Amino acid sequence: MFSGWNWVARCLYLFWNICSLGVSGGLVQSCGHIIPESPVLALGSNFTALCILNESCLDFGNIYANQIIWKIKNKVVPREQYREINRTVSSVTFNDTSSLATPLTCNVLADGQIEQNIYGITVTLGLPPEKPTNLSCIVHQQSKLTYPMTCTWNPGRHTFLDTHFKLKYRWPRENFPDCIPKDANNSCTISDVQFFVNLEVWVEVANALGKNESDRLVFDPIEIVKPLSPHNLSVNSGILPTVLKLSWENRISTAVMKLKFNIRYRIVNETNWMQVPSEDTASPRTSFSVQGLRPYTEYVFSIRCMKEDGVGYWSDWSEEKTGVTTEDKPSKGPSIWRIFDALSSPASWTVHLLWKALEPFEANGVILWYEVTVRAKSPPFLPPWKYNVNKTNLTLMLLNRTYEVTVIAHNRVGASPPSVLLIPTSNSKAPVKNIRTLPKDGKLWVGWTAPNSNVLKYVIEWCLLSNSSDCIMEWQNEPGNIQGTYLKGDIKPFKCYLITVYPLYADGQGSGQSVKAYLQQDRPSKGPTVQTKKVGKAEAVLTWNHLTVDEQNGFIRSYTIFYKTIDGNETAVSVDPSKTEYTLSSLTSDTLYTVRMMAYTDEGGRSGPDFTFTTQKFGRGEIEAIVVPVCLAFLLIVLLGVLFCFNKRDLIKKHIWPNVPDPSKSNIAQWSPQVPAKHNFNSKDQMYPEGSFTDVSVVEIEADDKKSFSEQDLKPFDLLKKEKSTSEGHSSGIGGSSCMSSPRQSVSDSDEGETTQNTSSTVQYSTVVLNGYRDQTPVQVFSRSESTQPLLDSEERSEDHGGGSDSTTLRQQYFKQNCGQDENNTDRPCFEIPKQIIPANEEDLAGFAQLQISGQNSEPLGLGLEKSTQEAALSDVLQTSTEGQTVRYETVEGNPPSVDEMPKSYLPQTVRQGGYMPQ
Amino acid sequence: MAAADTPSASTLRRRDLCSRGIRLARKMRSDVADLLDIYVERQGLDASVSVAAVEGVPAAAVEHWSEQTGTQRLLDNLAAYRAFRALLAQMLEEQREQLGDADAALGRALAAVLLQVSAFAYHLEELLELESRRPPGDDGDGPPAPPRLSLFEQKLRGLGVLRELAQWAVRSMRDLRQLARPSPGPSSAPGTAEGQ
Repeated sequence: MFSGWNWVARCLYLFWNICSLGVSGGLVQSCGHIIPESPVLALGSNFTALCILNESCLDFGNIYANQIIWKIKNKVVPREQYREINRTVSSVTFNDTSSLATPLTCNVLADGQIEQNIYGITVTLGLPPEKPTNLSCIVHQQSKLTYPMTCTWNPGRHTFLDTHFKLKYRWPRENFPDCIPKDANNSCTISDVQFFVNLEVWVEVANALGKNESDRLVFDPIEIVKPLSPHNLSVNSGILPTVLKLSWENRISTAVMKLKFNIRYRIVNETNWMQVPSEDTASPRTSFSVQGLRPYTEYVFSIRCMKEDGVGYWSDWSEEKTGVTTEDKPSKGPSIWRIFDALSSPASWTVHLLWKALEPFEANGVILWYEVTVRAKSPPFLPPWKYNVNKTNLTLMLLNRTYEVTVIAHNRVGASPPSVLLIPTSNSKAPVKNIRTLPKDGKLWVGWTAPNSNVLKYVIEWCLLSNSSDCIMEWQNEPGNIQGTYLKGDIKPFKCYLITVYPLYADGQGSGQSVKAYLQQDRPSKGPTVQTKKVGKAEAVLTWNHLTVDEQNGFIRSYTIFYKTIDGNETAVSVDPSKTEYTLSSLTSDTLYTVRMMAYTDEGGRSGPDFTFTTQKFGRGEIEAIVVPVCLAFLLIVLLGVLFCFNKRDLIKKHIWPNVPDPSKSNIAQWSPQVPAKHNFNSKDQMYPEGSFTDVSVVEIEADDKKSFSEQDLKPFDLLKKEKSTSEGHSSGIGGSSCMSSPRQSVSDSDEGETTQNTSSTVQYSTVVLNGYRDQTPVQVFSRSESTQPLLDSEERSEDHGGGSDSTTLRQQYFKQNCGQDENNTDRPCFEIPKQIIPANEEDLAGFAQLQISGQNSEPLGLGLEKSTQEAALSDVLQTSTEGQTVRYETVEGNPPSVDEMPKSYLPQTVRQGGYMPQ
Repeated sequence: MAAADTPSASTLRRRDLCSRGIRLARKMRSDVADLLDIYVERQGLDASVSVAAVEGVPAAAVEHWSEQTGTQRLLDNLAAYRAFRALLAQMLEEQREQLGDADAALGRALAAVLLQVSAFAYHLEELLELESRRPPGDDGDGPPAPPRLSLFEQKLRGLGVLRELAQWAVRSMRDLRQLARPSPGPSSAPGTAEGQ
C-alpha cells in the first residue's frame, strides 16, 4: 500500500518537471536537435549544421529559429554564419572546419534574455588516409623451413582518426588472409611465404573519412630473402704457415637458393677487418682456405652469405672463430744499435749492444735465442767471436778498432736474415742536417735532411729529459731512403725529449745531430722565483733561476717581469729567456716595490711568487758626497780657527789670560845683586848674548826647531806653551799663577810640560842658581814662595814619577838638575841647562849635543859622539854641582828610587850642592 | 633472322615459369624429404615401412615418359598436384584433429608443403595457358573422399602421400626441364609424343 502511493508521487513529480521544463527551461530533450549528429569532418572542409526546433516548443515556449544562437564551446558563432531556413530550422556554416571545436551547440534566448541550450553535437575532425607509399618487403629466414616476410610502408600523414591498415597479398589465383599490423601502422609480418611464385602485395588503409591503398608489388619472395648466416664455423691450420682453412654449414637449402659468401678476417687485437676477394667465394660452398696470412698469427674469421645472383640481402655476419697459423722462420733480423760506456778508456771501450725483439709478424714464431757474432774489421783480423744469448742486449769490451756485429734470431723453424751493425772508431761520416720535429696526430714526427752520401739506414735515439730521472735512451731504426719518421714509443705530452739522428753508412756512421722537442706544450707548472741581488736608489738588480725541465712543460719563449708600487700600475718588462738577471731602472727612491716574474711557453705563462723590496733613500755616493764636504768644511773651519788663534794668541792671551802679577816676584828685594847678568861668560851665554832670559824659559823651542830665536820671538812662544800647558792641566781657579802651576801634563805635552814646569817653577816660585860663576861658589839663595799650591803639585809629580819610565826618570833628573841650578842660580842663571837636557830621547840629546858642540867648535859630530858629547857638555855645564847627577843620570835606569827622596822636601831649604831644588 | 632468334615474351615467360617451377619443385622435394623425417618421427612410424599406392594419386612413374608431349606432362602434373593439394589439406586437418596445436612444427611443415603444392599447381596452370591450353577445371573436390580410416591407416596414407609427392617433385623437375628446352615447334602440335 505504501509502495503504491510512492510510485504515484514519483509519477506526479516527473510530470511536473516535464511541464516546468517546457515553460521555463531545460528544453534540451524536447525542443530540438542538430543534424548531422556527431559528424566526422575532414579538416579544412566546409560544414553546415542544422538546428531543428520541435513544433511543440514553438507554441509552448515561443521559441523560433530566429532566436537560435550557435556556440562552439562557450564561444558564440558570428551571426553571419547563421541562416534561418524556416521558423523552426536554423543552419550554421563553417567554411573551414579547422575553426570548429567540440561541442557545437544550438541555443535560444528564452524570454528574450535567458540563454537556454537546445542541443549539442560532438564534432570529430580528422583527415582521410593518404596512400601508403614506399612499400617494401623482406624475408627474414628464421629457420631452415621458416621464412616470414615483413613488409613496411610509409603510412602517410597523421589522420587524427582511427585508421586501419591491412597488408594484403595473394597469388594470382589464390588469396591469402590479410596481415593486420599489431602495435604499428607501418609494418606487418606474414608468417610464412612460398618461394618461386609471384606474390602480389599491397597495403589498404581506411578510416571514417575514406580509404586508400598503396601501389601493388609483385615479386617472388625468393628475391627478397635475408638468409641466416652460416654457422658452425671452424678454423683449421693448414700445411702452410700462411693458410687457414674455414669450414661451415649453411642453413638454407640449396633447393631454396644457391649462396655466395663473404669471408672477413683480422688479426686478434686488431680492429681492421680484411676480406677475401668476393669473386673467390661467389659460388656455393661450405669451406674455404684463406691464404696470404702471417705465420704464427692468431686470426679471427667471420662469414656471411646471400643469394648467389646477388638478388636479396646479405645475411648477418656469423659468429667469430679464431685460428692460428703455424710458425715460419723469422722474416728479418732484429734491429741493432750500440751504446758506448762513458767511462771507456781511449784504448778500449765498453760497448752495450742492444737489439729489439722482433715484432710477431717478423718473428713468425717464438724466438728461442739470438746468435751474436763480433768480427774485427781492421787488422789484426782475429777469428770472430760468437755468443748465443736469449736476451736482447750484450755488453762487450772492445779495443779501439772497427768491428762488425751480426745478430741472427732463431725460432723453432729456422733463423732470420742477419742484422749487421758496423762499430767504427769514430763517427767520421757526414751527419744529417736540419733536424726538426713536428707533433702530428698525437705522435712526434722527426724529420731531417739527408746527407749527400748513400745512407743505409738511420738510427733515431731519444730520451726523456727530466730532473728526477736519468735520460733512458730509446731508439729505432729507419730505412735509409726516408727523411722523417714518427717516434715509436710512449711519447708523453708536456715532456721534453732529446732526439738524436745518426746516419749509418756501409763503411761507417755519421755523428748524431740532436734536437729537443715536445709532443705537446703547456704552460709552465710554476713561475720563476725572482729576488733582488742589489737594490739601489733608482734601480734594482733582479736575479732568478731558470725553471727546471720538469717545470717548463714547453720551450720557455720569454720571461716577463711585472713590478709595481703598492698603489701604482703594474709595469711589465720582457726579458730574454737566456737571462737570469735583469736590472730594473727608473725606480722611485725609498719606495716599496712588488715584483713577480712570468715564464711563457707557446701555450701561455705562469707567474712566480711575488717579491717585495724597497729602494734606497740615497744613491750610491750621495752620503759620501754630503758627509765628506761637511767634514772637510768642519776641519777647515777648525784649522782656520786654530790658525787664527795661533796668529792672535797674544791678543787672545791678553783678553782671556791676562798677565797676573806674580806674587813671587814681589820679593824682588831678595834678588841677589851679586849675580850680575853681565858676568855670565858661559859658552851658552854666547848663544844668547842678550842675557835677558831672566824670567822666561824658551830653550825648549829652540832645541826643537834648532833655530835661534830672538827675545821677542821666544817670549810669546813661551807664553803660548804655558797657556797650552795650563789649559790641559787642572786649574786651581786662583789666578794665573795657579794656572801656570798646573801639575799635570799630557804625554803629548811632556816635553813642553817639562819646560813649562821648569819655567813655571822658575817664574812663579823661585829661581835658584846653584852654579857659581866658574870656580866661584855660588851664593845660595833661598827664595820663598808664598803659594803653597806648587808644592802640592810637586808632591804629586814626585809620586807620579816615582814608578816612571826612563824618560820620566830623565826628566826627573833634569828637573833636579834644573832645580839644582835654580837653587844655585842666585848668581848665575842656569836657564841653559834645562835647555840642553830637555830632550827626552837621544835624538833630542843629539841635537842638544850638536848645538853645544857647534857652539864650541862648530864641528859636526856623529851620533856616536852624542852621549860623550852630551856628557862632556853636561860636565862642562854641571861641573861641580852635577857630578852626582851625572852619576845618577848614568844610573838613572837602575836606580830610580833615589829620586823619590827629592820631592819630599817642600819647604824652603838649603840647596845641597848638586841636590834637590824646591819648586 | 635476328628477330626470329629473339625469344618472344611468351617464350621468356615460359622459361621463367619453368625455371622457377623447377626450383620450386626442388625446394618441395627438399622440404618433403625433411617433412618425411619429421612425419615418421612424430607419427611413430618406421621409415622403412612399405606403403601401398595411395588411392587417387597418379603414380609418378610412367612408361614412355620421354615420349610425352609438353602439354601432357603439364596436365599429368597438374592433376597430380591438385590431388596432393587435397590430400595434404586432409592430412593437415587430420593432424590438427589428432594433435591439436601440440605439434605445431609438423603442422607448419605440412602447411608449407601444402602451399608449395598449390604454388606449383599455379605454375602448371600458367604454363598450360601459355601452351594455349586452358587448364582443366578444378572442382575442388579432388579425389573421392576416402573411406573412414583408422588412425594408423591415416598415418600410413599420409606417409604414402608424402613419399609420392617427393617422387612427383623429382618428376616435375624433369618435366619442366624438358619443357624449358627450346622446341622446334609447339609442343601441343601433333607429334611423336603426342601421338603416343
